[in-house]
Amino acid sequence: MPEEPSQTIMAVDELQAIIQRCQILEEADFKGEDFNLFQVAGQKCLEDGYAAQLLEVIQNEKNKVIVKNMGWNLISPLVRCIFTYKQQDDKREHCLKILDQLAQLCNPKELLLGLLEQIEQTSGEQVCQTVLLLLQPLQTVLLKLQHKKAYSVGLSLAVIMNQLTPLPVPYTKEQIQEDKLGLCQCCHAVVHFAKPFVNEVVKNMEKSSEYNDVELKEELLKFCMKSLEYPLLTAQLEQLEGIEEHPFRRFATEIIDILWDIRELVPLVFLHRKGKSPDWENREFVDIERKNSADSLACLSYLVFVQHFGIDHFPVIFGPSYLLQCNMTHIEVLLKRTEESVLSKGLDLFESCLLRMEDDSLLHQYLEFRDFINVPQDLVKVMTLCPMEHLRKKSLSILQLFIDKFDAEGKYTLFRCLLKTSNHAGVEGYIIKNIKDQIHLSLTKVCDSIWFTGHHLISLLDLVLLLPEGAETDLLQNSDRIMASLNLLRYLVIKDCESDNRTGVWAALAKIEQNFLKPLHVGLNMSKAHYEAEIKNTKENRREAHSSNTVCSVTVSGEKMPAMTTEMQLQVLHSALFTFDLIESVLARVEELIEVKIKAGMDDNS
Amino acid sequence: EVQAAALAEHGEDITPARDRGVLKIIKRPGSEDESPMIGDKVYVHYKGKLANGKKFDSSRDRNEPFVFSLGKGQVIKAWDIGVATMKKGEICYLLCKPEYAYGSAGSAPKIPSNATLFFEASEDLFEDGGIIRRIKRKGEGYSNPNEGATVEIRLEGFCGSTRFDCRDVKFVVGEGEDHDIPIGIDKALEKMQRGEHCILYLGPRYGFGEGGKPKYGIQPNAELVYEVTLKSFEKAKESWEMDTKEKLEQAAIVKEKGTMYFKEGKYLQAVIQYGKIVSWLEMEYGLSEKESKASDSFLLAAFLNLAMCYLKLREYTKAVECCDKALGLDQDNEKGLYRRGEARLLMNEFELAKCDFQKVLEVNPQNKAAKSQISVCQKKTKEHNERDRRIYANMFTKFAERDAK
Repeated sequence: MPEEPSQTIMAVDELQAIIQRCQILEEADFKGEDFNLFQVAGQKCLEDGYAAQLLEVIQNEKNKVIVKNMGWNLISPLVRCIFTYKQQDDKREHCLKILDQLAQLCNPKELLLGLLEQIEQTSGEQVCQTVLLLLQPLQTVLLKLQHKKAYSVGLSLAVIMNQLTPLPVPYTKEQIQEDKLGLCQCCHAVVHFAKPFVNEVVKNMEKSSEYNDVELKEELLKFCMKSLEYPLLTAQLEQLEGIEEHPFRRFATEIIDILWDIRELVPLVFLHRKGKSPDWENREFVDIERKNSADSLACLSYLVFVQHFGIDHFPVIFGPSYLLQCNMTHIEVLLKRTEESVLSKGLDLFESCLLRMEDDSLLHQYLEFRDFINVPQDLVKVMTLCPMEHLRKKSLSILQLFIDKFDAEGKYTLFRCLLKTSNHAGVEGYIIKNIKDQIHLSLTKVCDSIWFTGHHLISLLDLVLLLPEGAETDLLQNSDRIMASLNLLRYLVIKDCESDNRTGVWAALAKIEQNFLKPLHVGLNMSKAHYEAEIKNTKENRREAHSSNTVCSVTVSGEKMPAMTTEMQLQVLHSALFTFDLIESVLARVEELIEVKIKAGMDDNS
Repeated sequence: EVQAAALAEHGEDITPARDRGVLKIIKRPGSEDESPMIGDKVYVHYKGKLANGKKFDSSRDRNEPFVFSLGKGQVIKAWDIGVATMKKGEICYLLCKPEYAYGSAGSAPKIPSNATLFFEASEDLFEDGGIIRRIKRKGEGYSNPNEGATVEIRLEGFCGSTRFDCRDVKFVVGEGEDHDIPIGIDKALEKMQRGEHCILYLGPRYGFGEGGKPKYGIQPNAELVYEVTLKSFEKAKESWEMDTKEKLEQAAIVKEKGTMYFKEGKYLQAVIQYGKIVSWLEMEYGLSEKESKASDSFLLAAFLNLAMCYLKLREYTKAVECCDKALGLDQDNEKGLYRRGEARLLMNEFELAKCDFQKVLEVNPQNKAAKSQISVCQKKTKEHNERDRRIYANMFTKFAERDAK
């Protein structure tokens, strides 16, 4: 590269000039003007490619004081240059050495601000590059701060995490392997950066605890909590085939190790066991903390109980019901989210807690905890609204697991609650089937449950054997539920003899007829008539000329759906009729069975 | 293992059902006579092994004893049974069948399915752990009175060694105040079972508080002890059991009660009442237009009043949350803005507080109180800035001094 002689003289000489001037000055006499000239000259040297010369100047013993005071201004141009030069370039090496020297020589407070400013100014693709470059000098500077470092360490970690947070977290195997923005690499480097501070806290905890060390521990705790929220909460943390060392699994382990080292791991997981706060001011703080850290704590529970990171540090004494109780708040937090990564963690955590329990072992009194009622309702929302099929299926299987773990009264209460709150015919149908299964167990077991026979059952059946809007109920919409109810009634009529009447269904027959069977007949007749009329109309319209005055149109993803052809319309109408026929046939069968049984009863009595 | 074998042969069956599910041998008897009661906080050091002799857990590895509340199902059944038999200072061995431990489910990753567990345990101490409840006679069943339940109790109240109250009384949980019963009793009742007889130690916050109770000769901030028997109770309806009409009817009643408590300075009780309105109506859906209006009006009043209560109770974060919710229903609500400003001011968030008060003035330029609060904010901001400046000035000077050395 042709170097213009005039420029060579200018850049380096200018630098030499300001240096010489400052060498004779006292430190206290450095003026703002001097700082400026130094920065401009230094910057020019770098930009013109004279890093080597600049390095010499900085390494010169005589210039120590100048560099100490003014060096931090060079960070910005230095970093820019490092990124413009290629890996093998000598100039890059020189720049890196300059950076190292500055870390050693400059006033730590000022250099710290310079480095953090530099990190704060980057965005997007530059962030991880910059952080990776500056972590080492940052560490050097912080270690120089000795006993006052806590606040600065916290600030540094906060700035770094703030810059990383907007970056997307690699999720698929390909994305993780590619690590396009360097996030995985960066996370690992940040933990490594924090290591000496963790060691310091550990060492000081073994001696007495000075005030300052509590501060440093608090800052590290804040960093861990932040990491749990980002990137760990949204990262994919299962083992992946073909990836030997999963960067986020490793990061999770490292964060948990830090928490264990600073003795915060077990207290955090069992936060509510920390004991009542003694004074009022503390309570405020604890409440704020708890709210902001809900996501982090939920993620931590997931890591410990599902992935078993750090589980060796925990007592293996807790009863499984208690573990479920402790985790319910976290499960609730996770299930309320919609991102697949977070929602699936909630489901996994819930499942793992339930699998630790024996069936029928969960006492119904747990349902008096708010989250024990809220969580199944959240589960229902996932089952019915989540766009991802595998999550819908999974949440259904977990709901069944949850039901299975409760004792009889618990199941009973849960069924009542879900029938009242789920507002979804499919879910209601599923619950009704569960009720049938419980009745079956009651009737066939030696010990019979008072909850699924007799007056408790009748009270439950009041919720089941009815049409929500009487004869005007939309039978298609509610067909799942209605079919399940009819099947239940059919089962009861077959299994329970009138003389036995263990389930109480025979005594309630009149009521059932009035609230359920009669309106169902009426509803069916009305619906069939309506749909048959629709079919007739549609067929007639087809014979007439095709008119394109559609009353309304449907647009999906920006594309207008083609109008349904008459064939399609007829198909839909016919399938509705088929559903009604199905319902009607079961209804007829049930009524038949009832008649038979009543007649048999009467014959017996006569 | 020798110890496990010895247990199987000579160990004492301590299970209530006498099914040999938990066997115990005392290695070293305790120094005192007392065993812990249900509800006591117990500190235990232990080592746990599987049937094959493999150690799966030890509190010594963590350098701290394991702490838990006895008899509450926080631990495996074998421990709730076993530790209750231990005296202070005792060391014993326990052999636990899986039915009293982790059963067929096991406990991933360390405990396999159907595992018999062996423990060596030493009880360090136990202590009373807020409202402290020590159960003299356990109740029956598993259900407890909920807030709003009607309870019939027998109580005896002591202050120091003087008994100041002794009667049978029937009341609604959360409204004990109406019968000169401190809030601690209400709170404790929610954890008691039918037939339970217990002793309650109430710190002043859960007793008669700053006002004391002149009627009974109780000084302000006195610690009280009550002996309570829960004879019977009838639970109140859960939120999801009530329909909208019922909720709106009850909301009116409950709001009156809350206001009454507030006027008497009984803020904890008032919070309970207003809180009911929120829990009933906040998530209620499918309301007609008329119902919706009524519901919103109740919720707005509830949130505003809760904010006031929390301000009095010095729980400022909660006060801000309630104001936020009130403003969510009515964004220019003068009281909501003012109270939020007060809370933020007390949390030292001066800028935010100032904004709130300024908004109050926008809504109602005549509000003198808001004007004076704004100048308070400005004054405090200035004080804090001065203080910061002094701190940082010192910081840099100190560094400069150090570097110069």
